[in-house]
Amino acid sequence: MGFEMTVGKYHLGQTIGEGMFAKVKLAVNVETNKKVAIKIIDKAMVRQKNLMDQVVREISSMKILHHPNIVRIYEVFATRTKIYLVMEYVSGGQLSDKLYYLEKLNEVVARKYFQQLIDAVDYCHGRQIYHRDLKPENLLLDNNGNLKLSDFGLSILQKPSKLLLTSCGSPSYVAPEVVIMHRSYDGAAADIWSCGVILFEMLSGYLPFEDRNQINLFRKISRADYTFPEWFTSPQKRLMSRILNPMPTKRATITEILSDSWFRVDYKPSFGLEDETCTNSEEANSNLRESYLENGNPEQFINAFQLIAMSSELDLSGLFEDEKKTKLGSKHPINETLEKIKVAAQGVSLSFKKTNTSTVKLHNNPKLRRSRSNLTLSAEVKKITVST
Amino acid sequence: MGCMISKQFKRIPGYEDPTLLASETSFSLNEVEALYELFKKLSHSIFKDGLIHKEEFQLALFRNSTRKNLFADRIFDLFDLKRNGVIEFGEFVRSLSVFHPDTPKSDKINFAFRLYDLRNTGFIEREELKEMVLAILNESDIILSDDMVESIVDKTFQQADSKGDGRIDLDEWKDFASQNPALLKNMTLPYLKDITTAFPSFVMRSEIEDDSL
Repeated sequence: MGFEMTVGKYHLGQTIGEGMFAKVKLAVNVETNKKVAIKIIDKAMVRQKNLMDQVVREISSMKILHHPNIVRIYEVFATRTKIYLVMEYVSGGQLSDKLYYLEKLNEVVARKYFQQLIDAVDYCHGRQIYHRDLKPENLLLDNNGNLKLSDFGLSILQKPSKLLLTSCGSPSYVAPEVVIMHRSYDGAAADIWSCGVILFEMLSGYLPFEDRNQINLFRKISRADYTFPEWFTSPQKRLMSRILNPMPTKRATITEILSDSWFRVDYKPSFGLEDETCTNSEEANSNLRESYLENGNPEQFINAFQLIAMSSELDLSGLFEDEKKTKLGSKHPINETLEKIKVAAQGVSLSFKKTNTSTVKLHNNPKLRRSRSNLTLSAEVKKITVST
Repeated sequence: MGCMISKQFKRIPGYEDPTLLASETSFSLNEVEALYELFKKLSHSIFKDGLIHKEEFQLALFRNSTRKNLFADRIFDLFDLKRNGVIEFGEFVRSLSVFHPDTPKSDKINFAFRLYDLRNTGFIEREELKEMVLAILNESDIILSDDMVESIVDKTFQQADSKGDGRIDLDEWKDFASQNPALLKNMTLPYLKDITTAFPSFVMRSEIEDDSL
């Protein structure tokens, strides 16, 4: 297969998707030989439709989302006329294609996709990112049977307590409050509705709300006027009717879905990734950390320059991000200090994981995970001087 | 190619052509454009004149514009290549390039030496090292006795001052730093690899010709 073009270190190949003002092409990173998907956006169209902020927001959203069920963004290029988003390539195509060929999915497969969808959506909502355009075209499948959420073109970074003010999305998957009010709505509840429509479609092979006439379609949606096929089991019906509730405030929340008995069968929660192996910078960071650790056993004497190099006083990363780093002194040996951190972490229900002899990670306890915030702290304990 | 300079770039004092900056540094053209978004943010945080003043630099690093700090002062002075009290865009890009993960180690070693040579004498002296150690302990609220500080500085000199003349020259520093990669930890900012996704607003403003990517 011939390559038509090279962009940076990527050879562009065939077009694998086409949208209103963007094309997605398969590409190969010539340095690593890895496949990526590159979304090429026409700037003139973006300007014409006044979607500049949305494009920038899409990039920002994807950048902060590190989850096994969400498509990753690696890099961005731009020229005078085009924007190139270099993203993770997901080989199995869209869920919509799979539904087209197979009509409906068996319960085990549908449930697994739904569980992964809910995990991904939950993770986004925890970061105030609402997708707002969930539909099978935006759900990609890899060759290991995993689902990945893509296309955050319409997602919006929302501050808690503020309701969304714009109307968007694909009619059949859109929640009643989005259809009707055209005012403000809760992005989380609207996303959950769309997940419910997707689940219905996966299990039945057709959409719960369909009508050639858009007015009639909207009427059906706003009344949650749908009928279950006769093969739906009562646990399936129970969950779906809790999700497809036209009243956003009465609709099942993610917490409720996660405790539903049908949902919980064979449920293996997928969490946001730990920061190692995430982005370029984090990879570089961990490489750096490795070389650093090779260099010294934490019990060894630290020379003054090493102390300076470790210091946050000289850490320019403050220019780039808001992550907080703090340094504290302890009179105790490394092991005792780590033990104290452990006790403190347990006091506030954070899990404690030693990543090596001197560093630890503190995480929201996965078993008690239903708190909204996804908190990760890491601590490194270093010996400064020989105790006397 | 270089003539495609946008209006907003032209107005900035100390503006330099991104093509030139990209050719001289470890950054790509798009990365220089993305850095410009960061530069705009930093240089407009207090004085809004498109130049980074020391207060703005401190605000970015410490979330506090009045916090004095030995190292922030040193870094600011080294970034301010023209020594006119402000950091211009070109100075910003050239200096940050030292911290790029792809920049040769020798550049990082040289920069660190200039950073630690507080009084620009061409040597890192014992007093300078002690001053830096005290500054760090002080900022971190770590209290060590004077004896302990002396012993840290002494041991460090035993290791680094191979000629034993009580000061570290550039050659000694090069040897010492090459043997101890941990010393250069602060000379690499992994974030610089993610600059395009971190400051994505450059995409709408990019002036790069389509065939030059």
